[in-house]
Amino acid sequence: MKRYELIIIGAGPAGLSAAIEAASNGMQVIVFDENERPGGQLFKQIHKFFGSKEHKAKERGFRIGEKLLKEAEDLGVEVQLKAAVMGIFDDKEISVMLDGRVEHYRANNIVIATGASEKMLPFPGWTLPGVIGAGAAQTMMNLHGLKPGARVLMVGSGNVGLVVGYQLLQAGCKLEAVIDAAPRVGGYGVHAAKLARTGVPFYMSHTIKEADGDSCVKGAAILAVDSSWQPIPGSEKYLEVDTICMAVGLSPMSQLARTAHCEMENNPLKGGLVSICNKYGETSTPGVYAVGDVAGIEEASSAMIQGKIAGAAISFDKGYISEAEFTTRYEEYQNSLMQLREGMFGHKDKDSADTEHTEEGYTLSQSLLSKGYMEAEEIGEYPGIYPAEYRSKGVFPVIECSQNIPCNPCQDACKRGCIKVSGKITNLPSVDTSVECTACGMCVVSCPGQAIFLVDETLAPGYASVAIPYEFYPLPEPGSKGLALDRSGTSLGEAEVLKVQSSKAMDETAVLTMKVPVEWSMQARFFQVY
Amino acid sequence: MTMKMERKLIQGDFIPRADDELIVCRCEEITQGEIRKAVYDGMFTMNEVKRYLRAGMGLCQGQTCSRLVQNIIARELGLAPGEVEISTSRSPARPIQMKQMAKDGVKK
Repeated sequence: MKRYELIIIGAGPAGLSAAIEAASNGMQVIVFDENERPGGQLFKQIHKFFGSKEHKAKERGFRIGEKLLKEAEDLGVEVQLKAAVMGIFDDKEISVMLDGRVEHYRANNIVIATGASEKMLPFPGWTLPGVIGAGAAQTMMNLHGLKPGARVLMVGSGNVGLVVGYQLLQAGCKLEAVIDAAPRVGGYGVHAAKLARTGVPFYMSHTIKEADGDSCVKGAAILAVDSSWQPIPGSEKYLEVDTICMAVGLSPMSQLARTAHCEMENNPLKGGLVSICNKYGETSTPGVYAVGDVAGIEEASSAMIQGKIAGAAISFDKGYISEAEFTTRYEEYQNSLMQLREGMFGHKDKDSADTEHTEEGYTLSQSLLSKGYMEAEEIGEYPGIYPAEYRSKGVFPVIECSQNIPCNPCQDACKRGCIKVSGKITNLPSVDTSVECTACGMCVVSCPGQAIFLVDETLAPGYASVAIPYEFYPLPEPGSKGLALDRSGTSLGEAEVLKVQSSKAMDETAVLTMKVPVEWSMQARFFQVY
Repeated sequence: MTMKMERKLIQGDFIPRADDELIVCRCEEITQGEIRKAVYDGMFTMNEVKRYLRAGMGLCQGQTCSRLVQNIIARELGLAPGEVEISTSRSPARPIQMKQMAKDGVKK
């Protein structure tokens, strides 16, 4: 039987981060993963992450995965792929199915970082080909370059549903609707707004009744539900779709923790059955830790920090770092983790959050929560909206960020200091009217929520330019015409592309500047190619 | 996670529901009606339903359906889903071929 100082199960963001932390302190570490590729879900994540610089914000998920993997390799971490851990036994022994046989390993410490699996919702027709999980849609598109379908219904408006919905649009699918049984959009408003402005309708308080079709999905019947989740008669709608994508939540994959006899709890805030852990991630089985989604459903950014905390705690326990060093690191990581858990979507507040006001007291857009976009008359009061009296100066930024989410890359993006997120990382960004905007576009591309636009109402008499973040290929040519769409995806009329900026620093997000009649300057937020 | 449960069969006749044909365990093709009937037959825990019907014993090892089965049992018994005892987790956590199992401990 082979022995290691530390065995980690799962090579996703949590497991790799734990491995890196422990190996950087000198520990001998092996990571097992049942998949053919490491990185967990990171390599399917082609969108830019939220958070701050230390959380690797504004980097795309798959690049974060590449970096973690390189770091782990450089530190000598062994990553064993296609290795399914079958069970955890007494004295921290594990059995692994590897290379057609069962192998046994033992370690002084074990970190369980097995992640989560998708929840499913059964309805008549749910076993038809064409009903897929959001994770499967991402695997098809982002790992194998396949379109899951032509016309898609997304069931679930959490961040997974919204992010995958946007990726479906990028892949060239038509997203017929996003539905959710809850009355409010579950994910970040900015993610919803990215879909809504392309014309995707949101049906909140709607559930799927059945999938239509004999041998594959031909359509979906949806219907409205009342406040006690009961179907409302006569509300049925039929959508012609060939794919129904399910994003109705994740549940922790906690089987291995149970084989290790960890004490478990059913915690709805954490997504289901999880092991009870102390603040370092250690379960009730001494020396066995659980981090990442398996310890409670959260974002990849939080999973990485939890991994580091466990890695540091194990290193300290085994004498690889001093108590003083451990205390310093723990405090740093813990602060960073707490930042990510702040705000209306935070770990603690998910269900008790105020849906009327931001923490600063601004009115939350109810339209954003129920329809996925802000009404023009709602945006006025947010601190990122450039005040009307200063707009005649030339180009100005418009930051349509209206919810407390832990994210601040915008403030570093503007080298001139026009944008500030003061105080907590979840506070809304504000614009400084004394700073002259050079229209470099870096704020536009740095916002992971794609909520920053540059407007110039002095372009030409009667015309304004609106610069928008744009991530659809092929990029339109300057001079080409198309439709300017407002936040709801409704066409305002014709717009002309003035320029399309793209550079390495922009990381695949182009800045498309379109010319529109000046009265649309605060409405036009998407360009649709003819 | 162990709990004692009142062992009394549900009184009255099994009443079919319109959606009983719905497949719940995809791997083993077990329907909602079969699971409901199993509860009427006295299967009150996940382990019992699993052994009675094979729900959750297929390729995905209950990854997809165990929560659904748990909800159905809970509804029939008038319990909260968390009150239904879940299946035991034991090795192997993933499906494995007997020939692989047989190579346990055999030197390469």
